[in-house]
Amino acid sequence: MSNVIIKTVNLSKYFRVSGGRMLRAVDNVSLEIRRGETLGLVGESGCGKSTLGRTMMGIYRPTKGQLIYDGQELNLTSKRERFKFAKKAQIVFQDPYASLDPRMTVGSIIQEGMIIHGMYDKQKRKERVDELLDIVGLNREHANRFPHEFSGGQRQRIGIARSLAIEPEFIVCDEPISALDVSIQAQIINLLHNLQSQMKLTYLFIAHDLNIVKYISDRIAVMYLGSVVELASSKDLYANTLHPYSKALLSAVPVPDPDVEMNKKRQILVGDVPSPINRPKGCAFSSRCPIAGDICRREEPVLREVLPDHFVSCHMVK
Amino acid sequence: MGKRILEIEDLRVSFDTYAGEVQAVRGVSLYVDEGEVLAIVGESGCGKSVTAQTIMKLNAMPPARIVSGSIVLDEQDIVKASGNEMRKIRGNKVAMIFQDPMTCMNPTKQVGKQIVEAIKLHKHLSNAEAREQAIMCLEQVNIPNPKERAKQYPHEYSGGMRQRAMIAMAISCDPKLLIADEPTTALDVTIQAQIMDLLVEIKEKQNTAIILITHDLGVVAGIANRVAVMYAGMIVETGTTHQIFYDHTHPYTNALMRSLPSVDANKTTDLVSIPGTPPDLLAPPVGCPFAARCKHCMEICKEEMPPEFQLEQEGHVARCWLLHPDCPSAAERGDFSE
Repeated sequence: MSNVIIKTVNLSKYFRVSGGRMLRAVDNVSLEIRRGETLGLVGESGCGKSTLGRTMMGIYRPTKGQLIYDGQELNLTSKRERFKFAKKAQIVFQDPYASLDPRMTVGSIIQEGMIIHGMYDKQKRKERVDELLDIVGLNREHANRFPHEFSGGQRQRIGIARSLAIEPEFIVCDEPISALDVSIQAQIINLLHNLQSQMKLTYLFIAHDLNIVKYISDRIAVMYLGSVVELASSKDLYANTLHPYSKALLSAVPVPDPDVEMNKKRQILVGDVPSPINRPKGCAFSSRCPIAGDICRREEPVLREVLPDHFVSCHMVK
Repeated sequence: MGKRILEIEDLRVSFDTYAGEVQAVRGVSLYVDEGEVLAIVGESGCGKSVTAQTIMKLNAMPPARIVSGSIVLDEQDIVKASGNEMRKIRGNKVAMIFQDPMTCMNPTKQVGKQIVEAIKLHKHLSNAEAREQAIMCLEQVNIPNPKERAKQYPHEYSGGMRQRAMIAMAISCDPKLLIADEPTTALDVTIQAQIMDLLVEIKEKQNTAIILITHDLGVVAGIANRVAVMYAGMIVETGTTHQIFYDHTHPYTNALMRSLPSVDANKTTDLVSIPGTPPDLLAPPVGCPFAARCKHCMEICKEEMPPEFQLEQEGHVARCWLLHPDCPSAAERGDFSE
């Protein structure tokens, strides 16, 4: 068992759009997730964070690059291998209203994965469902109900129970709390956190709420227009932000503390994110970067380690 | 403080549905002064949007119904105003910014024309004059090349620009009150910062009163002068931003604040979560609506609605039995949860 659970090597995912053009949703991403850690993935909408998460899950097939799980390269064209991988990697979706089949009972939603993977007999599966409902904080009687009878937070718990059912090692949490109310968000975060320590899970935690990501993650990767621009431990990223985009992003996050807000110097970015169909030449951020030089518009920077365990892709960071 | 722009007194709004009467707003009183930002915070379904829509009388009646109370906007009672009178008020004295700019603009009409439409409704201007003013409004909200942009359709704008265009439309007639209903929820943080700055700029230049409805306490901390915390159709605590963030007394406000990860929190400390879910407003509880989720709950909380208690500092009001002068101290109640 290696220390790195999943690794991407120059992973890219392009989508073909009208006019034969390519939308480069994820571009050359090399990333390691260590066993038992939570890697936070942040960035603005359309930066490719969900696409990266889904590609790492095997939902999308990568256009280029490799996906290495537990030291072995995955061949995602083989149906058998995808099936085997699905047993280890699961996903919790953003929208708890759209990701549960409205015509299935909660019990059968949770059981489905176990049936597909031929786990346990009928009796044992029933027991597992009860056990899982206990774990995620629902009642056993809920197994016979339908998703529409539940609130958003409860539905998210059902989604979590479903992904835990086949005992995965690695879970992609794709914005699991952004559709929920503040008081319910804390419940789900605490649940995910407790499950991680109990079952030794590894999370890829995708979110745009930076306060939450900072709270739950061990390391954080910041994405911009399909590339990872900075990767560091969550402490380092906030204490010593290096990439100009990360700086702007972090300073734009409103802090729920009036005194802090009052004295904060915001760095406001001008303009909007360019389209991933028509990426700027050189560094993708050069069109909005306050410190961009000539080299930034010419050459694409690569992600390199500038401080121990602190990676950044910027020409201007020495 | 400037002139009082809006004063709501004991407003109750209900929706008549097949399942029964949903009491969405249950006795809300608030006021906003000139040049002031009042933030209304609360979870979804707590009645904050219904309150705002009732000020504009935008909710369809029926099923909505103003049960009682008064809304005085610039010395005029809105509750009694007729449809015709309301049309003169809407967009002129009070304007609204919505969460999703894409669904609130006409996709088949140029952005400039939509603003001209609003201006001509309230001001006697020629087409050319109105058009000029529309372009000025777009310029005011920092839209680059406003002349060319005015001829474009909403789909040609990005999300942030669409929100700017909507703000331009809202301020085109210099309203006295601007209601922003979750104006940045659909936007990314960097764009959100731009829009919030723009709102502050408008407030300072034109002395507009702003009601900001949001669930993002970070946004509130940055812009609001006063905050009203809503729960289950009622304002449970109201005060200045400073009072609400640092000296809050209501258990719900406290739980809300503590459910957010603080700046230096890390994984070793659990977030404080509020158990349970908000009450059903089809059959709201007789007592305090938060009683079922409150860890300080006493017998009286379940039986009787707490009145508004005035706290030490002026303007700081909360609805909680713990503030009653006869309330025993935490130790006497055997409450050691803090």
